[in-house]
Amino acid sequence: MALKKSRKKNTTQSQNEKRDCNQIRNELLSDDASSRRWAARDIVNCPGATHMLLDQLNNEEEPSVRQVILSSLTQLGDSEAVEGLVNCLRSEDASLRNEAIEAMKQLPEEVAPIMATLLNDPDPDVRIFAVNILESLCHDDVEQWLVSVIRDDEHVNVCATAVDLLGEVGSEISIEALTGLKDRFTEEPYIQFAADLAMKRISGD
Amino acid sequence: MKHILIVDDASTVRMYHRNILEAAGYTVDEAVNGIEALEKALTGKFDLYIVDINMPKMDGYEFLQQLRREPMHQAPAVMVSTEAAELDHTKAYFSGANLYMVKPIKPLQMMTYVRLLMGEESA
Repeated sequence: MALKKSRKKNTTQSQNEKRDCNQIRNELLSDDASSRRWAARDIVNCPGATHMLLDQLNNEEEPSVRQVILSSLTQLGDSEAVEGLVNCLRSEDASLRNEAIEAMKQLPEEVAPIMATLLNDPDPDVRIFAVNILESLCHDDVEQWLVSVIRDDEHVNVCATAVDLLGEVGSEISIEALTGLKDRFTEEPYIQFAADLAMKRISGD
Repeated sequence: MKHILIVDDASTVRMYHRNILEAAGYTVDEAVNGIEALEKALTGKFDLYIVDINMPKMDGYEFLQQLRREPMHQAPAVMVSTEAAELDHTKAYFSGANLYMVKPIKPLQMMTYVRLLMGEESA
């Protein structure tokens, strides 16, 4: 008997959850921003949540709803969410790009496997955003990634962004690459300034 | 003495621009994002703004759009970014920028335009 009761309860509970998820999906498409905001928060336990949130993110114009969508995607943190966030880096919308960068900083383990790909993206802006993500990405390889950028990347602004960060997180192992960077961009006063500053910070002068 | 606000989330960039401007005799204040910049701009008096686009919390476009709604805060603004696409230039001017410059900026280039925008030197 106990087993039957338990089954009945579970079925009812499951039906409620299913109905709730349908309702939440509809609310995510509501004209009312407040409803969309709540739905973006509550949808995380529903099947297909990542896909629906990413769809809505591309159409959502209300910043507060977008913020909740990104927070939920960060909470979900699956490969589809990370891929969707990477696509946001290619957006023409500067706010969305910056929000995606902040969200990706919260996913070090999920973002780490694709970091090398991002740092080699054909679009220099995406490479710059990848370096921006490294700023707060708590991962053991951050310094090594930055060193490879300033050693190999040919775009001055990608290197400039990386050298800024190396001044904060770099150690003695970055010095040789920083010297090499100065030699590669002898005509760029900013690179000379930033590399000197980074080396000064690293050596504690 | 002319007072300039530098708005950029990168501390090295702020320091680099500050060095150039202070060497030329200007006083400089800094903000790390659009929100801090808006607070400083609305409570202070600046003769020029140098504004990065990509910043957390509030980007450069949004900062300038909000600033330009204030009739008392119409000092010229230079928008600086790593992005060189035509669309970025257009968006900057629509947001209220007087000039769009692609990083990295050379000192002589910066001083030429800063002086021009503040009416200190003709082209």
